[in-house]
Amino acid sequence: MRQWRSIAKEAMDRASIIVKFLCLLHVTDAYVVSSNHVLGPSMLPTLNITGDVVLVEHLSHRIGKLGSGDLVLVRSPLDPNKTLTKRIVAMEGDKVTFSLDPTRSFSSRSLVVPKGHVWIQGDNLYVSRDSRHFGPLPYGLIEGKVFMRVWPPSSFGLLG
Amino acid sequence: MRQWRSIAKEAIDRASIIVKFLCLLHVTDAYVVSSNHVLGPSMLPTLNITGDVVLVEHLSHRIGKLGSGDLVLVRSPLDPNRTLTKRIVAMEGDRVTFSLDPTRSFSSRSLVVPKGHVWIQGDNLYVSRDSRHFGPLPYGLIEGKVFMRVWPPNSFGLLG
Repeated sequence: MRQWRSIAKEAMDRASIIVKFLCLLHVTDAYVVSSNHVLGPSMLPTLNITGDVVLVEHLSHRIGKLGSGDLVLVRSPLDPNKTLTKRIVAMEGDKVTFSLDPTRSFSSRSLVVPKGHVWIQGDNLYVSRDSRHFGPLPYGLIEGKVFMRVWPPSSFGLLG
Repeated sequence: MRQWRSIAKEAIDRASIIVKFLCLLHVTDAYVVSSNHVLGPSMLPTLNITGDVVLVEHLSHRIGKLGSGDLVLVRSPLDPNRTLTKRIVAMEGDRVTFSLDPTRSFSSRSLVVPKGHVWIQGDNLYVSRDSRHFGPLPYGLIEGKVFMRVWPPNSFGLLG
């Protein structure tokens, strides 16, 4: 009996250390900085098609320090289980002029980004699905700002 | 010298206990259940105008178990620093028919809720600003499902 109690107690102690570590890791990951694997052609030439590992900081968007030109990680408005990495082209109140088909530049539209939203586009306009397709993105869907690439080593360095 | 070191060590030990507790509290608050103070007239008669404290669970929306009729806490698409409490009226793919002005029922519009979005409305249609005004809400802005009211005591009980 006493043996089981001491084994259970030791198991609980070790489990609680692991739980505490995971909590700390998670809070750092969600509120300070995290790493993300991004792939796809929509951000060429900034990000590689085969996949990069980038560092994302989760502070700027909470204190309103995002602006045009920032690379951001956002939750997709079309699929809540996916995240996208795009560039903010316009903030709320800015007028944005865009063309759905970049090969025909005379078919362009213009609109003002509504309050509480941003306008995001991929750097590779030809293959990116972004605000030109799904409209202005609510600010609440922004999860963080991409500031650095750590993999592949040949492209190590600050981004944006 | 040794006194300072032992005082510093004890301070760090106590601080780390507090940090670990806050991490655990935060993870529970964000991923399991949290309490929220909601007020305003847009959800009468379901919720009081003067303010209720409700319990919000953060599991259902992550596993796709939300549906029409659920009370949800969402991040406002107009102001990312505010949260709203409304009811899901239609899920993606459903057709929703609504009138911007409930006193004149013949001016109604109809649309299909796009993929990755939901349609939310306040129970008090006359004063609620909801999807009838800002359009379908991206699913990613949903933060949790309101399931219970704990204050005031005479309204204690399950909701929805």
